[in-house]
Amino acid sequence: MKAIEDIQKKITVVAPSAAPGSTDSLELPKFVNQARRSESFVAFIARTYRELAKVKFALASFVVNSIRKRYHRSVLGFAWSMLNPLLTMGVMTLVFSVLFHLPLKQFALQLFSGLMPWMFISESWTMGSTSILVAEPFLKKVYLPKAFFPLVSSLQALSNFIFSMASLMVIALLMGMQVGPAMLALPLAIGVLFLFNFAMCLVLSVLTVYLRDLTHVVGVALGLAFYSVPIIYPITQVPLKYHIFIKLNPFYYFLDLFRSIICRNEFPPAYEWGITFGISIFTVVVGLLLLKSKENDIIYRL
Amino acid sequence: MSSARIHIEDAWLRFRSYKNPSPALKEIALSGLRRNRDAKSTVEFDALKEINLDVRGGDRLGIIGLNGAGKSTLLKMIVGIYPPHAGTVTVIGRVTPLIELGTGFDSELSGRENIFLNGALLGRSYSEMVALEKAITEFSELGDKMELPIKYYSSGMLGRLAFSIGALVEPEILIMDEVFATGDAHFVHKSMNRVKHLFQSSQIVVLVSHALTQIVELCNKAIVIHEGRIVNSGDPIAMVDYYHQEIAGIPEVRGLTVTQVE
Repeated sequence: MKAIEDIQKKITVVAPSAAPGSTDSLELPKFVNQARRSESFVAFIARTYRELAKVKFALASFVVNSIRKRYHRSVLGFAWSMLNPLLTMGVMTLVFSVLFHLPLKQFALQLFSGLMPWMFISESWTMGSTSILVAEPFLKKVYLPKAFFPLVSSLQALSNFIFSMASLMVIALLMGMQVGPAMLALPLAIGVLFLFNFAMCLVLSVLTVYLRDLTHVVGVALGLAFYSVPIIYPITQVPLKYHIFIKLNPFYYFLDLFRSIICRNEFPPAYEWGITFGISIFTVVVGLLLLKSKENDIIYRL
Repeated sequence: MSSARIHIEDAWLRFRSYKNPSPALKEIALSGLRRNRDAKSTVEFDALKEINLDVRGGDRLGIIGLNGAGKSTLLKMIVGIYPPHAGTVTVIGRVTPLIELGTGFDSELSGRENIFLNGALLGRSYSEMVALEKAITEFSELGDKMELPIKYYSSGMLGRLAFSIGALVEPEILIMDEVFATGDAHFVHKSMNRVKHLFQSSQIVVLVSHALTQIVELCNKAIVIHEGRIVNSGDPIAMVDYYHQEIAGIPEVRGLTVTQVE
């Protein structure tokens, strides 16, 4: 019975024009909608990229509008993107530098280099996980590639991260941050962290469609994971026998990229780039595979 | 320039309806404990069966049927929202769906800003929307109210804005699903005229409407859908008759009085 099997019939439309004398038969965009089980992974990636490129104005609009709306009604507006992390860091610095008896400026810098990327991770993952679910009104009315909304969430988190970092750079300089050639590595570090966060958004957004509690689970897990990496405590405070657990933690390497650049004014070692890129690319592949296999099922679950 | 085309060959769409599409952990745990489950948690049915359709540039296709027959589902399959699980849907040309008024309208933004947002969602670029903005504003007849956030618009104003954007973004294939419901007579008449004259021989319009006078006035072809199948196709007036007699079960109604208003 046809209804049970998937039948792929590709129609090659060679000269679709009804108007006589037309020369260019491939001018109009062609969209073939069919059960896509036999589409290869590479073809899927190419198709996703093409479809996203077609709607890049929509991507930009969503991100820009969300930024504007965030600060639209608030009195201080833009300043909050700086005040929020500044206050958090200020309190933490005071409290923990007293607790651990560390020099204030050094600790503040260490905290800055760890907390900012962590907030980027946290915001990406929590916003990203609900991105497809909350996009239901869009996905049911317009055709958009499913990767669109995770990408929007990731870009929103990225823009917040860049704004916060930029505005706190001044404070960092006051705290003794040294600007050297290592700074050139900063955009690359941001890039690889963004890639990782985007990939996790892909994974989480698809999984959350099946299990909506996942957002809460992610929130709690991240809250706990915060303590598993040396952000608020220096690694020197950790007994040596536990260092292995920290070194096995993937977050450690992403954060250490920033710590190398900001605290130590050093270009991060090659093995750290290797690990972070490796994790990012692996996660991207997992996310895209997941999306490809669940692409058609998701729309029925919204 | 080659013209737009919609070609659907032997397409079937199996719709899955989940009682609980995104369960929470609690619900999964509880359903495991419960031995007897009263109803199946998913319902599968063929929303569209054996659809064969060929629409060429210059056609204005009307789709008629009872509620729940599959008209909107067919539109969504053409747009690409629901993939068929058998068969192929080939669409050549840029599709502009007007499936609900103001898809993606952001109520905090002004009418003008929503023109750009909506255009973006329909796949247009910034420069294209800049060029079209004036024409859209004029057609919608909203004037100064364009600068107001659209949360202050009436449903008629929203409808006018949405339709103006959808019709004027130079679609090659315009898909309309019951979009004239909220318009007043003046605007509906103006819109229909615009659709009739704006679209040249290379473009396609697909219209779903329960206002059968619109179907007759606007379309040159019509299909009747019943329980997921296309049961008849042809001339709009004949199809409306068929629909009344066979489907809706109103045998007394024959033909339709259509007042041509120029």
